[in-house]
Parts: sequence; C-alpha cells; structure tokens
Amino acid sequence: MRNLKMKLNTENVIGIGLFLFLFIYPLFVTPYQILNLSYFISMVFLTLSLSLIWGYGGIFSFGQAAFFGVGGYFYAIFTMNSGISTITPIGLLLGVLVGGLVAGIIGYFMFYGGINDVFVGLITLCITVSLETFMAQTAGSQWKIGTVGLGGYNGINGIPTISLGSFALADVNFYYFILIVLLVVYIGLRLFVVSRFGYTAIAIRENRERTKLLGYNVPRFQTLIFALGGALASLSGILYATWGGYMTPSAAGLTAATLPVVLAAAGGRKNLTAAMIFTFIYYWFSQTLSASGNEYALVILGAALILVILFVPEGIIVSLFKLGDNLFFNRKKATQVKAEGEFT
Amino acid sequence: MHLTKKKTKNYIGLILTMIFMLLLSACQSAETSTGSGAGGSKKDAPIKIGILEDQSGDFSLVGIQKLHAAQLAVEEINNNGGLLGRQVEIVAPDTQSDNKRFQEMARKVILEDQVDVVMGGFSSASREAIRPIMEKNKMLYFYNNQYEGGVASKYSFNTGAIPDHQIGTLMEAVIKKYGPKVYTIAADYNFGQISADWVRTETERLGGEIVGEEFIPLGVSQFASTISRIKAADPDVLVTLLVGQEQSSFYGQWAKSGNTKLPMATTVNMAQAYEHKRFDPPSLANMYVTVTFMEELGDILPSAKEFVDKFYKKFPDDKYVGMEAETQYTGVMLWAEAVEKAGTTEVEAVIDALETGISYDGPAGTAKIDPATHHAVRNVYLAYADKEHKITFPQQWEAVVPDWLSKEKGVDLTKKDEFKQYTPLD
Amino acid sequence: MAIFELIYQFMNNFSFLILSAVGLAIIFGMMGIINLAHGEFIMLGAYITTLATASGVPLPLAILLAAAGVGVFGLIVDRLIINRLYGRTLDSVVVTWGISMILSQGILIIFGPSLEGSSTPLGSISIAGATYSTYRILLFFIAIVMLGIIYWLFMHTKFGLYSRATMQKHDIANTMGINTNKMYSLTFMLGAALAGLTGGLYAPTMAVSPTFGSAFLMPSFVTVIVGGANPLIGTSLSGGVLGVVNSILDILWGTFYGRLGLLVVAIIVIRLLPLGFSGLVEKKLMRGRGI
Repeated sequence: MRNLKMKLNTENVIGIGLFLFLFIYPLFVTPYQILNLSYFISMVFLTLSLSLIWGYGGIFSFGQAAFFGVGGYFYAIFTMNSGISTITPIGLLLGVLVGGLVAGIIGYFMFYGGINDVFVGLITLCITVSLETFMAQTAGSQWKIGTVGLGGYNGINGIPTISLGSFALADVNFYYFILIVLLVVYIGLRLFVVSRFGYTAIAIRENRERTKLLGYNVPRFQTLIFALGGALASLSGILYATWGGYMTPSAAGLTAATLPVVLAAAGGRKNLTAAMIFTFIYYWFSQTLSASGNEYALVILGAALILVILFVPEGIIVSLFKLGDNLFFNRKKATQVKAEGEFT
Repeated sequence: MHLTKKKTKNYIGLILTMIFMLLLSACQSAETSTGSGAGGSKKDAPIKIGILEDQSGDFSLVGIQKLHAAQLAVEEINNNGGLLGRQVEIVAPDTQSDNKRFQEMARKVILEDQVDVVMGGFSSASREAIRPIMEKNKMLYFYNNQYEGGVASKYSFNTGAIPDHQIGTLMEAVIKKYGPKVYTIAADYNFGQISADWVRTETERLGGEIVGEEFIPLGVSQFASTISRIKAADPDVLVTLLVGQEQSSFYGQWAKSGNTKLPMATTVNMAQAYEHKRFDPPSLANMYVTVTFMEELGDILPSAKEFVDKFYKKFPDDKYVGMEAETQYTGVMLWAEAVEKAGTTEVEAVIDALETGISYDGPAGTAKIDPATHHAVRNVYLAYADKEHKITFPQQWEAVVPDWLSKEKGVDLTKKDEFKQYTPLD
Repeated sequence: MAIFELIYQFMNNFSFLILSAVGLAIIFGMMGIINLAHGEFIMLGAYITTLATASGVPLPLAILLAAAGVGVFGLIVDRLIINRLYGRTLDSVVVTWGISMILSQGILIIFGPSLEGSSTPLGSISIAGATYSTYRILLFFIAIVMLGIIYWLFMHTKFGLYSRATMQKHDIANTMGINTNKMYSLTFMLGAALAGLTGGLYAPTMAVSPTFGSAFLMPSFVTVIVGGANPLIGTSLSGGVLGVVNSILDILWGTFYGRLGLLVVAIIVIRLLPLGFSGLVEKKLMRGRGI
C-alpha cells in the first residue's frame, strides 16, 4: 500500500528523533528523572487515546479519565487479590481488554442510540464524574472486592508493579518497558490511521451522513474506535497505577477528565505525534512550575493555554510541524502534514 | 480557503507564544538545574527539609499556615546557629491539593533534592499517597497534623492530635454535661469514617447512644436535608467531622434553620480552619472542640502567646495561627532535637534518637514522642465557642498518652517494624 | 410536617440547580460554548458581594453589584478572548479551562485562601413546629422570578428576538442584518452576569474561598445536560425534575445517593433524549414557534 510509505517531513523526523532521544535518555540523567519520565510516558497513552477518537474519529469525549480509572482499579483489584507477581502481565492485558469492553458497551449505547457530537462529550462527562463520586465514598470497610478494600478518596495503595516471571520491572527496566510499549502503540496507531478502517473513521469525522449513505455502518465503526480509545486509556491507567503503586478516584475527576482534551487540542488534535509531544511538554512544564512552589504556577499555565489556542489555533506542535515543512521540506507547501489527517 | 494570507499572521503568533513559553521555562529551570551535589561535599552543605503542603486549591487554607510555621521554625533554628553547625534549608513545592501531585513531589524532594526529612500533608488521603514512597525510600517522614490515628510505620512520626487525645476526652466532657444521645455527621472518606467509628466506640464506652450517623460526600455544600434529619433525631449532642471549604458551609446553614441550643462537638473545626473567625456568629455557637493548640490559647498560656506573636511578626498578612501550624512548628523542633542528639541526619540514627522519647517545650506545653507508637504525648485543651464566638477553655488534660496502638493492637515500633494503618474496626 | 419538609427540600434543590445552571445554560444554548470557567464566575460574584457587604454596602445592592461586576468582567473576557473563538466551540473548552485556572489562583494570590463571610440574612420561620431559613425560601422565589425575567427578555424584547434568530440559524440571521457577533457578546455578558448573581446570592450561605465555584460546577452541568440547549424551558424543566429526584433520594437514602441520582438521571435522559428536555418540548409542543 502506498500509504505505508514513510514521508520525509518534520513530523516524522521529529517523531524518530524523539524516540531515539528517549532511548538514550537514561544514559545521561539521574534515576529520579528516569522515574519521572516513565510517569510522563504513562500519561501520553491517555492523550493518544483521545487524539485517536477525537482527532481521527471525531468523537469528543470527556470519558477517557473514566476508562483510565477503570483500568487502574481493575489492575489493582485483580493483581492484589491474586497476590502472585507472575500474574501481573495477565492483569495488564485483561485490564486493557476490560477498559476496551466498558468503552465498547458505553459506545454501543451511545452511537446506536444516535448520540453524537457535543452530547457524547456531555454524557461521558457525567459517567466520569459518577465514577469519581462513587469511588470516593467507598472508604467504609464494607466496600471490598475480594480482599482488597477500595479505599474511598484515599485510593488504593501498594499496587504491585509488573513482573515478567520473577523479574519485577522497576526503575530503568520499567522505563524501557513502558517506552517500548509506547513505540509499539505509536507505530500501531500511525499505521491504523492510514488503514482502511482509519480512513473510514476520518470519513465519519468529516461527514457522518455521507459516509452512511456510502454504505458504511457508522455506529459500528464509532463503537469500535471508541472501544479502542477506551482500551488505550485503560492501558494508561494501568501503567500509572504500577508506576506509583497507587490509584485514586480523583484520577477520574473533573480536572482529570478535562486534561486530555486540553492537551490534544493545544498540541494539535488531528495529529498523534503532536499530541504526544505536547503531553511531554505540558507535564514537564506544569511539574516544574509546581515544584518551584511559585504561587503564579497555575496562572502561568492557564495563560499559556489561552495564548496557544488564540494564536496557534491548529495546535502549537502541528503549527511547528508546518513551519518546519515550509522551511526544510518545501516541495508541496504545507499540505504534507495534512495528508493523513485532513481532506481539505 | 484563504490560508496563505493568514499564515504569516499565525506564524508571528506562534513564534511569540514560543518565546513567551521559553522565557518562562528558562527562569524556572535556572534554579532547579543545580541539583544533587556529590556525597563528599555534604559536610557544610545545608540540611534540607522537604515540606509538602498545599499552597493552592481547597486545602491551602491550612497548607499555607503550615508552610509558614515550618519557615518560622527553620528561621529560628538558623538564627541560633543551625543544626550540627549547618544551616537548614526548606524545599517546598506546591502540592496543589492534588494527591497525584503529592506523589510526584514526594519523589522529587527525596530523589532529586535529596532532602534529609520530609514533612507535610494535610488530608489523610495525601498522607496515604506519599507514605509508601517514604517507606520504599527509607525516608523519615513527619506528618505534623491532626488525623484519624492508627498509622504504625517505622518511618512515620506523627506529632499532632489523634483520637486518643481528642475523642475520648471530648465525648466524656459533652456526654457528662448534656446527655447520652449523639448524632454524628462526618466527611465521607477515610478520615471521617474512622473518626466516626471512634466517636461510636467512645460514646458506647461512656454509656451513650448513637442516634444517627451520616456521611457527607466531599464537595457537598447544601445541607438542608441533613439538617432536617438531625432535627428529627433530636440528639443531645451533634458531632461534626466535616472537611474542606464546601462542607464548612454547614455551620451557617445550621445556625439559620437548626437548633442553635444543641451543643456541637468536633475535633477539626475552629482550631484548623478558624470557622469561628470566618463566619459571623452565631454559626458556631455552642461548639466544643478538643485541641492541642489554637490561637486563643494565648489568652491562658504565655508560651502560646509568644508563638502567636512571633508568627504574626513574620507573616503579618496571615489571618489565623491554627492547631496545625503549631503542630508543624513543634514537629520541626522535635526533629531538630533528635538530629542534635543523634549528631547526624542519617535516617536510622535520627529514628533511634526520636525513639528515646525526645521532648520539646513547645507553644502548647511539652510535646514528647511516644517511642512505641511514633505519636506524640501532648496536652489537650477543651475549647468552647459561645454565641459571640468567644473562645474559652473550660477543661484541660495534661500529657495525654496516645496508647491505643500499643495497648489494643500491641504495636511497639521500637521492637518490631510495621508499615500499616490500624482502624478501630479491624 | 413531612410534606412541608419535602417541599422545603425541593425548593432548596430547585433554586440551587436553577441558579447554578442558568448562566451556563444561556452561554451553552446560544453560543454552544462549554464554559468551564462558569464556577469561577460564580466565585467572583461571591467575592464581590462579600467584599461589598464588608465595606458597608447593603446586601441586596451588593448582590446586584456582583451581577453587574461579573457581567462587565464577562464582556471584557469576551472581547479579549472568547470572540476570537466563535464557531470553534471545542477550542473554547481549553480556553475557558485556562481562564478558570487563572481566576481561582489569581483570587487566592490576591485575597488569600479564605474570606470572612457575612451571615445569612433574614432569620428563620416556623411551620408546623419545624424551623426553616427564610432566606433559602426567598432564594426559591428569586429563582422563579429570574426565570420569568429571562422569559420576558427572550420573548418580548428585540434582544430576545435577535438572539433567538442567532441561535437558530446564525448565518441567516446575519444576512438579515443582525450583528450576530454583538449578540454573542451580549449573551456571554448576560451569562456571566447571571453567574455573578448566583455567586452573590449564595455568598452569605456558604464558605467563600477561591474554590467556591467548584460546588456549583457539577450540578450546573447536570442541569444543562438534562435541560438541553434551550436556556429557558430546558433549564426550568430539568431543574424541576432533578430537584424532585434529588430531594426524594436525599430524604430516603442520604446525601450521597441524592448526588449520584443526579448523574444517573442525566445519563438516562441524554440516552433517551439526546437534546434534553428542550428537544422534547420543541418537538412535541412548540414546533415552529421558536422558543
């Protein structure tokens, strides 16, 4: 397929450069910085999941945080009940499936029920906040699944890290594990969006009616891509839970639900690489501000987001890609980046 | 599309935004880049305390007080020549009332800033978010805060009030005075649930009866139905264990449609978030609270007055010096005593020094570490707010020992290391 | 006795839902913008009212001042930021989120983590042996009156006519000579002013702090979701239904189920009626009549 041929443009150059950089990064930095970057990477999956369903599928969802929570809690309850460390990879895989399944069921009810556009956003917002409200009140000792107390607002602590056999993934090993998962997922998604399915999703995003009239079962495609997004968000939640050994209801709160939307929109939602890069930048930036103890941290963060949207409406990273294309790969003007995402 | 025309304009905006963000990050990273020095030069380098407090968000009301108290304590230590001849320095990121942020910042201060001790945390959720990190990294952790009790961990020390101090004494005082029927409303999370269990246990021990118990989700600010349930149950005493800004709206609503003659009893209000100053009387009329310190204690205790004056001298814009500010201050001082005694900041040595039963004559009287439980022996004062919110202290208990863990659960951290939280239910 | 109790609960919940939602509903219904800074607008209103009463302004005036102040603030925000985003509704999510961060932290920096509140005015009244807060009962009637004023504004004024036209088909309204951008600005200002009014009204009954608005955010979103795009019919209907559901669950099982019940109702309603109650009403009763 000609689609699979890789184009020489800024996005791809930067994407490759980023992964190369991430692979050699641990050689130069302290263990803390490696640990910290693992955390950023675990959150990248969440942004990617939204970028996939919103940027490519046209489904605007506040529900990714809910699937994040479902994944994290499922993994915690499953692995802590079994108590055997070798079962953790199964917990990971099952958790991803469960996240996908939950998203699929919700998607089925929404899309076959004819709900679309901003209403999907609203209903998923309700689901997310319901989950948080429910989990936050499970502090009492009656809230137990198996031997694991749900812990209410305090969350669950002591979640085991992933072990391959008897080899526990920690620190640098965990970093490389999570990085390889990211690479696989990223390449998978890049291929997916130029596959037939991916093009169908884009067609649905651009014009639902027309796609339907062309004979596509629109709700089926929407449900599938929503489930895929749910599985990715769930993966993100599991990786976060193993990173800190900790899962909390506020991971599915209003703020957490909004953040992926903000990241995808500000980075450039129709571009997976952009969403990924912007997630790194945002988490690094907000953490640095928070660590400084500067009282203006949130003000600066808010102002930066507003400026990004006002002056670079397509997303800051995407605009940079275009600028790069114009400067270095100026053969077909700025249209190359759009090739896979947008039909103008 | 007329993209080409707009393009130049867009790029100018883009570049401006980038420059703005670069500038911001440049000023930020300038201070953080000088990270951990090599171990050899540690001799004269300052001793570092990581203070994790909420400087923004819902809990900042108490978090900022606690940060300021730590700054005050450290300033005094440094003015007296420092610790072990070294200066003491505070690393204080803003945890933004966000438990995820607590985890990130706990790792940062331990691994990157290489602090010698971590203090902080207000809500019990934030403590539970970071306590495992402390244990994993074998880091000394001071939770200088009132809480629901029960944590038995080698690395954790709690210098604040716990149910051993507050609930037995409180229930004894109010049941004796007003009668046996008790109604409890509590925040619906771990702190509220466990504290409510304590209230139940103590009430039953004293021959009283719980006539109602309700848990309010965090963030609820409308209490009409709760108030009507309380009125229907007609208790002798109302116990309120509410947490956070939204829930503190209860008192104003209670005063307007409730029975203000009904005495309220609490372990958290007034002393922490100074509701009696923030709300017009008679919102908290007839309220009893057991405290280890509050600003008004200065009226009867010279050491407390001295502390309050020092605090306002350094932070004239602050509005109240509460129980947690004193706890934080005393916590820093207890740790400093232990470091002096150990002659090093080495965590194991400092723990050993603390377990000798270090004590400090603080603003609210003597505070002494109980070696078996890692909690503090403290004086407890019963505070009472009248219709005008004037505070009096009708009763006090000297040197209350937090011995529930050691007596009931057989915990002795000097002999056996543990890493868990006990609750009255298990 | 029990029936008075239930009515009082309902009045309480109804006014809280309506007042917290109406500003959001107008902005969402007219402009399609999901205003995540809504809670912070309410908070701003509470601050204006509290600060004004503290400096001696009588409470009713202070509340109106809050509405005017936040309205002007809304206009400024619109002129500076929001008007560049007309038609880009999803980008407005990011921007309003940014605004909300700046507002709540900015207030924290300026005024510190709390403000000394003023006490709830008007004492309490006794009905059938139980006491009820008069101010809270008054809030119910204020909510009703406010709905009435909005009805008049949208149905009997030129502004209402133009704005309904803009809401239905903004391009056609534009070609008919309506300055739709101006309509959007006015709408945003009106929504902000109503949020400020809500903040002012609730300021004496709640703890005033930079996170004041977060207590309103969830109920307001649920009300708007259930109500749908029509700020008048949708909001009042959904406020009524949700008020009943919330009161009953609350009395039967406690606060937590009242809260969860709101969310469950919202999910069910949106599943059955994606356009909310306004969609239903417009389809069944008022076909072709505009509002």
